[in-house]
Formats: sequence, structure tokens, C-alpha cells
Amino acid sequence: MSFKRIAITFSLVTFCLYGVLILSLLYFYKGSLFFEIFFSERTLFSIRLSIATATVATVFSMFFAVPSAYALSRYSFFGKKLVDTILELPMIVSPVALGAMVLIFFNTPYGMTIQSNGLQFVFTVYGILLAQFITTAGIATRLVKAAMDEIPQRYEEVAKTLGASPSKTFFNVTLPLSKNGIIAASILTWAKALGEFGATITIAGSMAMKTETIPVAIFMRLASADIEGTVVLVLILIGIGLSILYVVRLFTSKTPYV
Amino acid sequence: MILSPFSHSYVFNVEFRIIDIFELRNMPKIVLRHISKNILKDVNLEIMDKELLVLVGPNGAGKSTLLNIMAGLTDYRGEIFFDDKKMDDIPPHKRGVGYLFQDLALFPHLNVYSNIAYGLNVQGYPEKVIKKRVEALLDALHIGGLRERHTCNLSGGEKQRVAIARALAPFQKILLLDEPMSGLDPQTSKYLRTELCALLKRLEITSVFVVHDLLGAEEMADRIAIIHKGQIEQLSAPNDIFFSPRTDIVSEFIGMPNILNCDYCNILSIGLVEVVSGDMSIILPYEGSSIKKLAIPPHDIYIRYKTTWTCAEPL
Repeated sequence: MSFKRIAITFSLVTFCLYGVLILSLLYFYKGSLFFEIFFSERTLFSIRLSIATATVATVFSMFFAVPSAYALSRYSFFGKKLVDTILELPMIVSPVALGAMVLIFFNTPYGMTIQSNGLQFVFTVYGILLAQFITTAGIATRLVKAAMDEIPQRYEEVAKTLGASPSKTFFNVTLPLSKNGIIAASILTWAKALGEFGATITIAGSMAMKTETIPVAIFMRLASADIEGTVVLVLILIGIGLSILYVVRLFTSKTPYV
Repeated sequence: MILSPFSHSYVFNVEFRIIDIFELRNMPKIVLRHISKNILKDVNLEIMDKELLVLVGPNGAGKSTLLNIMAGLTDYRGEIFFDDKKMDDIPPHKRGVGYLFQDLALFPHLNVYSNIAYGLNVQGYPEKVIKKRVEALLDALHIGGLRERHTCNLSGGEKQRVAIARALAPFQKILLLDEPMSGLDPQTSKYLRTELCALLKRLEITSVFVVHDLLGAEEMADRIAIIHKGQIEQLSAPNDIFFSPRTDIVSEFIGMPNILNCDYCNILSIGLVEVVSGDMSIILPYEGSSIKKLAIPPHDIYIRYKTTWTCAEPL
């Protein structure tokens, strides 16, 4: 067998693995039940809650990610390596651990002050937002930084020699040029926030009609051995996920640099 | 090897006697004092107002670094003055220095018109001024037809023209050019270079043009600076570079690799001097100063394969 065939075989095997998993959902799929569960108030609430929280969390993540990615990509400053490493924390530490860290923080005197005088995070929707934010902010920064690293710095140098201040250079040159990368990063961040489970359930709990996002709802249905219900929710999640990936593909098609 | 006494033999270590016309006519526009950065070691350079200085040197000589330093794009040690104003703490966008990069870097998200207008836009010029200036430049560079075109589907020459127009648009009085024509075929490059030089003269812009060989440099340059390993070897008018190279490196750079060390000279009575180098004795016109080294261009050396030589015999 040629090397080419071996490589292709590996990709097909991996594909089949996921394919079988998706197909096996259909074994427990009941058409009538699908719409019943889909349109049930609890499911619709989960979908709305998930989409709303993921969107808000993405906005917050990107608000912090874009400037910090620019700083990491273009400037050198004291402690840059450390910042860079800490940003990878959500990738290497399990979301449950991150959630636990947040809970522990809210049990320190500072955390308790915030809870009692400011926003109540634990077991509320704000908790979901916080969970999604801390699990995605680092990754969002990474993704945006990768997009900005790809833009030759020469464009910014040209802008400067034409009289553009650093902020104008950022808004007129860097931002438009990394637009596609930023959009792709936002979509992936949104998808990651949508699927966030570990930190969400640790911080916000799993109260139906209050803090039950789609992944939490899947877990709750499975825990009560409601396999048909689980299948429906998983299909919804897959549907959203695949359409997102497709949109990302559209935005990450390469644009040539002159 | 036989040398005719009337061939162009070039003499080193002759005092630089021709007073530079620019020193008389103009004040220095750019002054670099004790500039050091990486390979550049204590570079001092004065560039006159409205002058076109060509900076020539092999790859890695520090040419681009020197331009980046003038534009303020990199940090350095030393001092830079533009019109007697100290520039070292001025950020690049306030230095008023145009820069034409080797890789052009036209903004891919803007069309030709917006690329050229960019500098004027960010500096807050009124729309009317911008339109007039951009149209004038489009005309001057013969790219009026490309106004609405996207930069990614222009030819190499067209991209060059757009980049030149963009660099000139914001009324900069200093323009740095880093081997801007290197990606073009020789013919296009030659025409464009001539056009560009005429434009720079017309707009009275002080410019520093970096190239890596002397091909065509003498046509456009007011003065040429030869830079080698971070040192300026010679800075003089093109003719003086070619006819009085001051160091071995300059001599080699202009294509005269045959350098003889002179042992001693005998001044002859008839305005000639006899220079002795090893077994060879060469007669040269005497210019009043002692000769230490001699460079002989390869095309002035005749080779004969017969062992005897008489003047009667034709070459």
C-alpha cells in the first residue's frame, strides 16, 4: 500500500468513527418524539439560554481577546511569556477544575464581597456567562493572535510612514486585514461557549428553566435514563455545530496579501 | 600583461578635490550622527536638501537598517536631525518620512484610489485636497485607469506605480526607497526608475534610494554612498566613485578587482610619474600626490601570447 493510501485510510477510519457515533443516535431516534421534545418549553428555554449566554460570553471574550492578541502579537513587554502561558490554562486544565477554581474564589473574602455587594454569580445566569467566559477568553486570544500573526507587519509599517498613529494603524489596517480571522475566532469561541459543560454546571448548577443550557440538559436527561430525549438534544447540538463549522470554512478561505 | 599609459588607470588616495556643489547650494536635510545598530557601527551621514542619494552595498551591508532607522521603525543609538530638528524621540508617523518598501505592501483591503489616499485620510486632510492630490498623482504616474481596481490583480509595474503614488501622496519631503524596482524586468524597471527620478526632482523631495548594485545608479544619483559591512566606504558624486575610488572595497564594488600596491614612485619631468609595483613599472599622469595603490579595470588590460613586443606591431 502506498503512503498516500495509508494516510487516506487513517482519515477515513477517523471519519467512520464519528459517522458511526452519529448514526447510532438514529437507533433511538423517534420522529414524533423529536418535535415534541424540541418544542417543549424546557428544551426551547435551554436553546434560548444557550444561544443567548454563548453570544454574550463571546462578545466579552472577543472584547478582551482582540486587544490582548494584538499586544501579544506585536509588542514585547515584561512578563509576555508568562501571560502567553497562562492564556493556555483553559486548554490544559479541565473546565470542571476551572469552575471549581471560580467557586473557591467566591468563597474567599473578596469573592464573598463581590457576591453580596455586586453581582450574584453562583447558581445564576451570570454564573453561566462567567463559566463560558473563563473557558473561552484564553482560546479566543490564541485564535485572534494566530490570525494577526499571519498579517505581515509591513502593512503597519507602511501605515505609520504614511502618518497613521498606532491606534489609527490598528483600526484602519490591522483590524480590517484580520477581519476574517476575527470572525472565524468569534464563531469558534461561540461554539466552544455553546458546548461548555464542566465549568457551567460547577458554577451555575443545573436548575431547569433557570440555568439549564443544552449540554447541561443532555447530562440531566441522560442521568434520568431518558435516552430518546438525549438523542434529540444531541442532534440539536450537532446541527448547530456543523452549520457553524461550515460558516467558519467560508470565512477562513485565504485572502492573498499583495 | 601590457598597460598602455593612456588607458584609464585609476589612482587611489588622491585628495577629494572637487567641492560638492550640494554643499554650496543647500543645507543638509538629514543628518545622521554616530548611528549604531546591529551591523551599523558609528555611521555619520549628511544628506542635502532635494538631493537624490543612492545608497549602494551588498546584501547584509546595513542599507535597509539605515533606512528603517531614518524612518524611526527600529530603535538605534545615535542622533538623527531633519532640518536641524532632533528626531530620535519622534515616532515614525510624526517624522514625515515616506518609505517605499521592497515588498510594496499595498493594502489588500483597499482599492487603488483608497491606497493612495490613505496617508492623506489619516492625516485629516479635507476631502477636496485629497481628491485633487490623488488625481494629480494618478495622472503623473499614468495609472488613472486603475482608480477603482483592486490591488491584488495589478501587474508588477502597476503595483510599483501605485506604491510610489501612495508614498508621495501625503506631501512628505523625504522619501526612502528600498530597492523598489527589484521585482521588475530590466526594461520596465529602467523606464520606471527614470520616471520616478524625474518626479522626485520635480517635487523637490530629498530621497535616499537603496540599491544593491551600481547598474543605473550613476544616471539618477546626485551622490552615491557605498556601504559595506555597516561602514560608509565612500560618499561622493558618481564620477568620483567611478574615477577615484577611495578604498579597495569601493574599487572592487565598481568592478575593478585588480589592485596593485605601489612600492615607490619616481616623478618624471614631463607630468608623468613612474609607479613601481613588484616587477612592474607603470607610467601614469602625475596629479601631484603620492600614489599608494593602483586599480586597473579588466577591460583596459590587453593580453598578448607572443613573447616579444614591438610598438610597430599592431595589436
